[in-house]
Amino acid sequence: MRLTALDEAAETLNLRKHMGVAEARAIYPTLDVIEDDPAANQRFLEAIADWCDRYTPLVALDGVDGLFLDITGCAHLFGGETSLLKDILARLFQMGIDARGAISSSPGLSWAISRFGQGGIIEHGEAEQALAPLPVAALRLEEETVSALHKMGLKYVGDLLSAPRAPLARRFGGALLLRLDQALGTDEEPVSPRLPVASLSVERRLIEPIGAEDDILALTDQIAVSLKPSLEARGVGGRIFELVLFRVDGKVFRISAGTAQPLREPKRIAALFAERLQAIHDDFDAGYGFEILRLNVLLHEDFVTSQGDFEHRQQKDASLAAFVDRVSARLGEDCLQTFQLRESHIPERAVIALPAIDQLSAQKTREGHPPPARNERPIRLLRKPEPMDAFAVEVPDGAPASFHWRRMQHRVLKSEGPERLAMEWWLDGSDAEDRDYFRIEDDQGRRFWIYRHGHYERDAAQNWYMHGVIA
Amino acid sequence: MAQSAVTRERLFALRETIAKLEGKPAPALAAAESEALVDKGLSAKNESVLRLPLGIPALDEAIDGGLPLDGVTEVRSDLLREAGAGSGFVLALAAMLQRQVEESPSASLPILWIADMVSTMEAGAPYAVGLRDFGLKSDQFFYASPRKLEDALWLAEAAVESGVFPATILEVRGNPKPFGLTESRRLSLRAKASKRPLLLLRQAGEEEASSAYFRFLAAPAPAQARPLPDGTMLGGSIGNPVFHLTLEKSRNPAPLSFLLEWNPHDRRFFAVSQSVDPRLPDERAAHSGTPLSASSNRPDRKKEMGALLAFARTS
Repeated sequence: MRLTALDEAAETLNLRKHMGVAEARAIYPTLDVIEDDPAANQRFLEAIADWCDRYTPLVALDGVDGLFLDITGCAHLFGGETSLLKDILARLFQMGIDARGAISSSPGLSWAISRFGQGGIIEHGEAEQALAPLPVAALRLEEETVSALHKMGLKYVGDLLSAPRAPLARRFGGALLLRLDQALGTDEEPVSPRLPVASLSVERRLIEPIGAEDDILALTDQIAVSLKPSLEARGVGGRIFELVLFRVDGKVFRISAGTAQPLREPKRIAALFAERLQAIHDDFDAGYGFEILRLNVLLHEDFVTSQGDFEHRQQKDASLAAFVDRVSARLGEDCLQTFQLRESHIPERAVIALPAIDQLSAQKTREGHPPPARNERPIRLLRKPEPMDAFAVEVPDGAPASFHWRRMQHRVLKSEGPERLAMEWWLDGSDAEDRDYFRIEDDQGRRFWIYRHGHYERDAAQNWYMHGVIA
Repeated sequence: MAQSAVTRERLFALRETIAKLEGKPAPALAAAESEALVDKGLSAKNESVLRLPLGIPALDEAIDGGLPLDGVTEVRSDLLREAGAGSGFVLALAAMLQRQVEESPSASLPILWIADMVSTMEAGAPYAVGLRDFGLKSDQFFYASPRKLEDALWLAEAAVESGVFPATILEVRGNPKPFGLTESRRLSLRAKASKRPLLLLRQAGEEEASSAYFRFLAAPAPAQARPLPDGTMLGGSIGNPVFHLTLEKSRNPAPLSFLLEWNPHDRRFFAVSQSVDPRLPDERAAHSGTPLSASSNRPDRKKEMGALLAFARTS
């Protein structure tokens, strides 16, 4: 067991990282050691990243203890870079987080300044000047490279800046120069955000936090109104919306809702979230209220405007789509399904169920036709054929005179069949056995759809299955 | 004179309100209306549109002109193994409703089936190819499988409220407690407000007080034979399905029992004469419970008095 991190008080006590716990305890018997939990640290860092979403949508994680924020074009919203940095650090400090930060023109420079320097803002031309006094470790180098550089007497970045590049590259590889260039901003380094960036986004900051669901929905409606012009300008409607709620104490809720058709109407967007809030009711804790509401459009599609006719057909379609949206938001997308026919003669493969929310917009897709020459099919099909016992089967290819299914004896009075269906060899292999289907009616008038698995063979047990219920 | 006319009109207005509250259809008011002013017949005409006639005069008379299109109709099956009959009858009704709205130009045809999980496991899920054979439009069939009964009830209510479905089918199994009279009344009021029918399919359920207009007990019956081109029937074949229906709840004093044949091609019912099958007795009990086997021995009789005295028991 070794120490992995120290707080400020411990740092003053001559303790170091990687020191054995027993050793540390021997020096300070009252030392308070907490077991490291990397997963919890990661969750905490992600929660802070979520919270930082309020400043910019481009937030990236950096290792286990850092965040990169791409604030290109965002700083003016917070009154300039100085007040932005001050605002972040002050708010984090209020939440009990000791954070350091720097703003500069490249991620590498910001990393170096915030971890090894004084933090703050580095103007565009001051990169070399700011880097020069920092130790070489500030360049995000490998441990070995750092110690090799130390052996060479190159302890500060300034030493590297003045050294010729070719020998450095020969001796330490390309990584060193790449890191150096990245820190100086001559080599572009992208920051990969942890969440996909919304194509459109509107938000409202509140001075007085709100907590009631009605207020949240009313405000969602309002900000959806301001979303409408930008959707119209692009000629699109949203398919997946996301409502991001920033709670006062830093927790962030993300609620997303999909729609069956591209949507612009603010009322219907708000209605979607009304259902979603109902659905996640138990997990949704408003606490002291929310201070920022943001509505993102995660996925959008072309919005086809159609002229209404006197038959109000569009209106009908729209209300069906609204119903599908409502149900999918409340009970999940898999709850409501439609059936699509496929070109297969195997009964269970002839139909697939698809979420209605995807099907409604993708309507008029090609429709497979069931094979034309076939018997009538049952109205209800069992999910899996159920084995049953058949007695007094007419040989070779006849229906049983009675059968035993679910502890009930059925006497067969009438039967139609067999309808022989060969399995699909391209899926099931050439040795898959055929099925002989029968429509049968028992003495009470109940009708079933049964089949025999495999052909008739003398002195061999037959496998009979129940597959469906006929009206 | 003028005073009495005004009073009479108020009286009729009140009667109409009461009838509406009770959910009674306009024909119940017909007698009153015949006395009333002549141009009052308009409201009755409006309401008669909201009926689905089954196409068999004797039956339609018994159910006041047809199934209500602004209320709940319950169809129950006695046992889960008879689910085919109940499901078939409900789907046939849905197909009729679909045909009815198809005739009007501004048609919206989707049918919603709200499934019960256990019934689906026991009797299977609706099968699109079979539904098409049965006379329904399979591409307009929506299938919902909510996890809980509360969700199913919410879904049914939302579907009826949205007004896009010419028929909403709610399948429940047995008589669950959370689906009592209050919930049934709520659904019925919702259906009335949005003028959309709800078909309640109760699998393996008991008779229960509910706010459905009518309740049918659907039991299986032998199918019709297939007709041959020369007009005769093909013996031993299984043709159009036949349902043995008992009208358990209606304004009729006595339960009415009849056989209906469903023709998927024409999408309409035909009456089947009772003696179509010699194996089926003419009059079947309304509650066809488990048929008891006849006792193999004689019924137990009272023992003859013996010579021994029956001593008083000591322990």
